[in-house]
Amino acid sequence: MLTITELSVNYGAVQALSNVSIEVPKGEVTAVIGANGAGKSTLMRALSGLVKPGSGTATVGGVTITGRKPEDIVRLGVALVPEGRSTIPELTVEENLRLGGLWRDKAARNATQVQVFDLFPVLAERRSMRADTLSGGERQQLAIGRALMSEPRVLLLDEPSLGLAPLIVTQILELVSRLATESNLAVLLVEQNAVTALRVATTGVVLNLGKVVMVGSGSEIASDEQLRNAYLGY
Amino acid sequence: MTTFLDYLLGGLGSGAIIALMALSLVLIWRSTRVVNFAQVGQAMFTTFIALSIQTWTGSWFIALVGALAAGALLGVIIQYLVLRPVKRNDTSGAIIATFGVLIALQAAAGMIWPGGSQAFPQPFNNAGIEFAGRVWPISVYDFVVIGITALLVLGLTLLFTKTSLGLSMRAAAFNPEVAKLSGVRVSRVLTFGWALAGSVGAVAGVLVAPVSTISPNSFDILLVYAFTVAVIGGLDSLIGAISIGVFTGLVISLVSGYSDSGNAPIVALLLLALNLILKPEGVFSHHKARSV
Ligand SMILES: Nc1ncnc2c1ncn2[C@@H]1O[C@H](COP(=O)(O)OP(=O)(O)O)[C@@H](O)[C@H]1O
Ligand SMILES: [Mg+2]
Repeated sequence: MLTITELSVNYGAVQALSNVSIEVPKGEVTAVIGANGAGKSTLMRALSGLVKPGSGTATVGGVTITGRKPEDIVRLGVALVPEGRSTIPELTVEENLRLGGLWRDKAARNATQVQVFDLFPVLAERRSMRADTLSGGERQQLAIGRALMSEPRVLLLDEPSLGLAPLIVTQILELVSRLATESNLAVLLVEQNAVTALRVATTGVVLNLGKVVMVGSGSEIASDEQLRNAYLGY
Repeated sequence: MTTFLDYLLGGLGSGAIIALMALSLVLIWRSTRVVNFAQVGQAMFTTFIALSIQTWTGSWFIALVGALAAGALLGVIIQYLVLRPVKRNDTSGAIIATFGVLIALQAAAGMIWPGGSQAFPQPFNNAGIEFAGRVWPISVYDFVVIGITALLVLGLTLLFTKTSLGLSMRAAAFNPEVAKLSGVRVSRVLTFGWALAGSVGAVAGVLVAPVSTISPNSFDILLVYAFTVAVIGGLDSLIGAISIGVFTGLVISLVSGYSDSGNAPIVALLLLALNLILKPEGVFSHHKARSV
């Protein structure tokens, strides 16, 4: 579904990503893992149009998304849940959700909102409260919900587990994995926490200093001790 | 006691105008984090345009609508020509640019409409209303001013809370990155914000002109009041701009009534200083603190 071909990104003299190629099929979770500073967020920001890649392409269902603006990329079916607090605290839960699909017609938007509330019942309960009254886990659900409101074909998740309790992380990731299979979504999940990510991922991609150093099934990577020691630090 | 109430009533109209001007500053600040010092220059310029329209058509209403449109257009032009080229995140550069625009607009107005201060025809009766056996310090025109201000505030409130465009504007102001990721065309939304602020400022200009006069510098004092009000209100609060604006109008009226109108700006600055010491984030701000 999402095909990344030889993507490179520079910040001035720093090459944050060099010739990264990844295939993200629909219906499953593909995990990109790597230490802090490996270039994971840069990859996500390049795919969603927030940074311009120096070279390389990314296509979704054959349509090139690289070189486009974030506003257009999301309309092509690629939604990013960025790292950290990506909800707008001053808006209510429902406003945050509405925001995610504002350009769509009202009937379609409302139908998706019903699905999101089914998926995250706590958001339905808190719909008229400001987002900053939510707990960390609820806020992450809201951030994912906002992304789903665009009815994406490709969902990009940048470290959704950051700062959350292990139990909540498990819940969220299991939900994401279910979402991938049930809605036939292509999910690209970025994690520093390899154990967590590889539990739900069909394929794992190890990123180190901006380069792909290994691609394999989740279990292959989890059992490769040398690789774990060298790049993942556990 | 009657005098006190009279002074309060007499301050409502000017309070409404100050509130509108402060509102236009707040609209720009919310979306771009820039204090637009050119705002009164824009209002002065569009009021001159309104005066030309009024002279030409004889209709105050057409002049008001013309100023509204001219204000929107001028706001967009200034954003395109001056503020977009100034680098993002360079807030001080942008603020200096707005000062430049103010000076340029005043110079241009001086050339286009020479001859110093001009009177703006009185569209409604501005004499105190006679009622219940006495003359009140409030006129039909004051009611028109208050009515138009209330309508604008109501319209803006509905825009921000009930429409998709309003939600886009709030999202773009609070977090442009998340807004873009959600599909909001942020730069268009910001341009619309400049147009909207330009129109609100233009209305303030047209409303104040008949009770003062119009010259390239005649609104400078309005800038002082509007800026004071916007800062005290918390800069990002529409409710703050409106309520502190009206409050300031009342204070000015009281100060002018009991002492001398020359003291009013000093009292306004004292209020500002007091606010910065006691509650530097502004009375109505959501944010915890603000560096001054
Ligand atoms: N805006 C930026 N400007 C300059 N360098 C950056 C910027 N963002 C990230 N980098 C650098 O790019 C590299 C990759 O960063 P990032 O993609 O955030 O890594 P990760 O998400 O894997 O922790 C790091 O060396 C980081 O310092
Ligand atoms: Mg990161």
